[in-house]
Amino acid sequence: MTTAVEELEQTPVRHGLLRYAATKAGGALLSIAMVIVATFFLFRLLPGDPVRALAQGRNMTPEQLDLERARLGLDKSIPEQFLHFVGQTLRFDLGVSYEYKRPVLDLIGERIGSTLLLTGTALVVAVSLGLWQGARAGWKPGSKFDKVSTAISLVLWSVPTFWLGLLLLMVFAAGIGPIPGIFPTRGSSSVDKPDGFAGVLDVAQHMVLPCLTLVAVVYAQYLLVMRSSVIDEVGQDYITTARAKGLRDDDIRRKHAVPNALLPTVTLVFMRIGFVVGGAVTVEAIFSWPGLGQLFYEAIRVPDFTLMQGTFLLITVSVILMNTLADVVYHLLDPRVRSA
Amino acid sequence: MRKLLAVLAALCVLAAVPGTAMAADPAPKKVIKIGVTQAVDSMNPFLAVRLVTGSIQRMIYGFLTVPDSKTLQPSPDLAESWTTSPDGLTWTFKIRQAKWSDGQPITADDAAWTFNKMMTDDAAKTGNGPAVENFASVTANGQELTIKLKAPQASMLDNPVPIMPKHVWEKVKDIGKYDAEVYPTVGSGPYVAVEHKKDQFVRLEANPDYWRGRPKIDELQIIFYDNPAASIVGLKKGDIDLIGRLNPSDFESLKGDDNIVQWNTQGRRATYLQVNHGATTSDNKPIGDGHPALKDPKVRTALHYAIDKQKLVDEVQGGLAKPADGSIIPPLYKDFFWEASGAEKITFDLAKANKILDDAGYKKGADGVRTMPDGSRKLQFRFSIHTDAPVEDKLAEYLTGWFKEVGITLTTKRLDSSKFTEETGTTALFDIAISGWSVNPDPEEVLGTHLCSRRPTASGDGGGTESFYCDPTYESLYLEQQKELDRGKRAETIKKMEERLYTDAPVIALYYPNDLEGYRKDRIAGITPIPEDKGLLYGGSGYWPFYTLEAVSKDGASADGGGSSTGVIAGIAAGVVVLALAGFFVLRRRSGAADERE
Repeated sequence: MTTAVEELEQTPVRHGLLRYAATKAGGALLSIAMVIVATFFLFRLLPGDPVRALAQGRNMTPEQLDLERARLGLDKSIPEQFLHFVGQTLRFDLGVSYEYKRPVLDLIGERIGSTLLLTGTALVVAVSLGLWQGARAGWKPGSKFDKVSTAISLVLWSVPTFWLGLLLLMVFAAGIGPIPGIFPTRGSSSVDKPDGFAGVLDVAQHMVLPCLTLVAVVYAQYLLVMRSSVIDEVGQDYITTARAKGLRDDDIRRKHAVPNALLPTVTLVFMRIGFVVGGAVTVEAIFSWPGLGQLFYEAIRVPDFTLMQGTFLLITVSVILMNTLADVVYHLLDPRVRSA
Repeated sequence: MRKLLAVLAALCVLAAVPGTAMAADPAPKKVIKIGVTQAVDSMNPFLAVRLVTGSIQRMIYGFLTVPDSKTLQPSPDLAESWTTSPDGLTWTFKIRQAKWSDGQPITADDAAWTFNKMMTDDAAKTGNGPAVENFASVTANGQELTIKLKAPQASMLDNPVPIMPKHVWEKVKDIGKYDAEVYPTVGSGPYVAVEHKKDQFVRLEANPDYWRGRPKIDELQIIFYDNPAASIVGLKKGDIDLIGRLNPSDFESLKGDDNIVQWNTQGRRATYLQVNHGATTSDNKPIGDGHPALKDPKVRTALHYAIDKQKLVDEVQGGLAKPADGSIIPPLYKDFFWEASGAEKITFDLAKANKILDDAGYKKGADGVRTMPDGSRKLQFRFSIHTDAPVEDKLAEYLTGWFKEVGITLTTKRLDSSKFTEETGTTALFDIAISGWSVNPDPEEVLGTHLCSRRPTASGDGGGTESFYCDPTYESLYLEQQKELDRGKRAETIKKMEERLYTDAPVIALYYPNDLEGYRKDRIAGITPIPEDKGLLYGGSGYWPFYTLEAVSKDGASADGGGSSTGVIAGIAAGVVVLALAGFFVLRRRSGAADERE
């Protein structure tokens, strides 16, 4: 008996969703196209001649510099270079790195695993920690828990990443006084990394400090968003009703308030997933983590145009895709967006 | 949430005690770990350009010659001996009877193939192209290698090209795209590369068939740090055993550690000022916007008098450098080092600097700043330095102070590295710039950076000049030393070139920074620097330091055992803390629920 009614109500919704998703996807494609164009010109604006930078501190004749320029395709005019770049990119070919002389896609492929491992883990931990503390803090704003957790997270949020990372390194990798240095000072694994489960542990041990740094400096945003949206829910009628029903406070919070308060955090989390691919340049640099952030940093220093373009494209495209996905998921979760 | 906490706790405990998971090695290998702050760019020697990669190549491959460990003069490596034709154009090398690490014999054909590859394939020129530029032909006959040159070249015996095994490399189709990540590598040096994890480490094993004899250690690890501060922590903790190329502050922070030797010797670098003395392009057209006063040698000399080099060494380099009374070649290279003496020597003397400028007609205005003799411009110079270089900032502060005393205003201009290279090397948009160069045992390269031909072309294409210098005296001396095969006579000519640079002052040498390194004496029992007398460990020429490395033999497993047991204790402690926290949260939750019930 319910089917007919539901059918009537659901069909337009599904159509709406499809149309909505298609519009969003179209927008995303347009953004990506613009990013491709912008990428090319943005990096051409950077000061410095890459060939001269590569030749720095070495004896190279003008002929050899010309040779290098030809090898990198820099002897062609800007429009020619641009057309070449667009054609390549559309074929999913990101070119050959100036510095490493190898395909950019290979270089990215080698490093994306360790970046996803580090930033992905950090994201999961930061989101869980932030949302959990935020929910509790928002439930009883002004309580001791609220004050302490909000204050701690805000202090960590305002601490420079580089400073915090170095501090953790000095304390927990080097060891100070009674604190032993139990964590390694660099990298994602030991040189003599054992096989099997011991190898997994080895990587986990290497990941503790960088992960901790990443979590510490970002979890405040999840906490604050969650806290404020829980505070919004606390005064709602349905909460009062739930209380009137005699439900336990914990149950009201977990089963009623938090699911409703989760919505605003969805956008935030999806946006952060997009950035996961970009890694964390600073943290990777402090802990010599062999990831994409490190690769990007190296590329800027040279400057290695193709490598910069490649990593930059990857990061922006993943952010765009995740934003689009967030819009769609939001649409699914929140009926109010649907009607709007 | 409780489950998550439990999993996290379990992971923390396990992660903190890897020692327990690893089996004890019955016969401990003698391993030495070298920390470096630069990652390998390519394991293909035809493509690699970075310093760290050059150092690793020295350990894996043989070269024609290697600097002698005592005198730094060219000495036999893969080439046992050599002769030169009277016109200096034909060099014949006798290649040593030795074996590649895969057992194949090394012949002159390997060397000929390597050089010919570079001469004929543009892609193979990336790494060491300039080294074969003067080669007309290279041929092999058994163990005899004949190189014919286009023009005489005294620096032939400092050839930086590693000799590659033809039987392995001739199979490579496109050398420009080959990453050479095949292990173990086939080489002829003291070590064989067995593993390379990008941006992480390179693992080298002793080459048992090395013709000089097997190295005394079993394994050498080159470990990359992105972050110099972390590498210092790594050395103090024992994650690495040696690190070179330290800056003064990192070097000082090693003080007081009983297990660490602070290595402080003369370095291979000179730091100098580059003065825009009227920059021109290679077809002699003016380029850039240098201040006209700097074209006057008297102004440049006055600036030289206004610099207290000893003060710079003390305050800017923390005393860890030698004030430069010479030019671009540091005293490490005894044979070629030149130092000013007598009347020629310029010492810090502000009164003298003022007098020179007064006499030359640069009058001081009411504000104490001098103007050009024709009154057209004030003597206000820019000083170009790098961003994020505290040492250069400090240097700028001192120079500004002294120059003010002689009526010259100096303003600091900070540029990022690529912009800096462009403005001071190609477009000449500078007045005075910081500069410096690391010198090889054969100084030809650094001398070449001040040649007319190295100035940029009219279209602004760079040629690698370090000064925009173009001086007939210097040019003819350069050609003279290039032809001179007698080392003593050649050194005399080179010294005249340094003298010319000193007196004409297109560059003003400030100091020679010391070589600063640190190593753990509880791990490294012996290491011979190059040169043996107060030389370098990492970053020197040749493979001597790493070939002579001796590890501290471990009696039993005392040191290691202690380490792993602290690990276990720490792990257990960390686990307990995490479990206690988890328990605390669970209890809190329970008591919270109990409150609710009441």
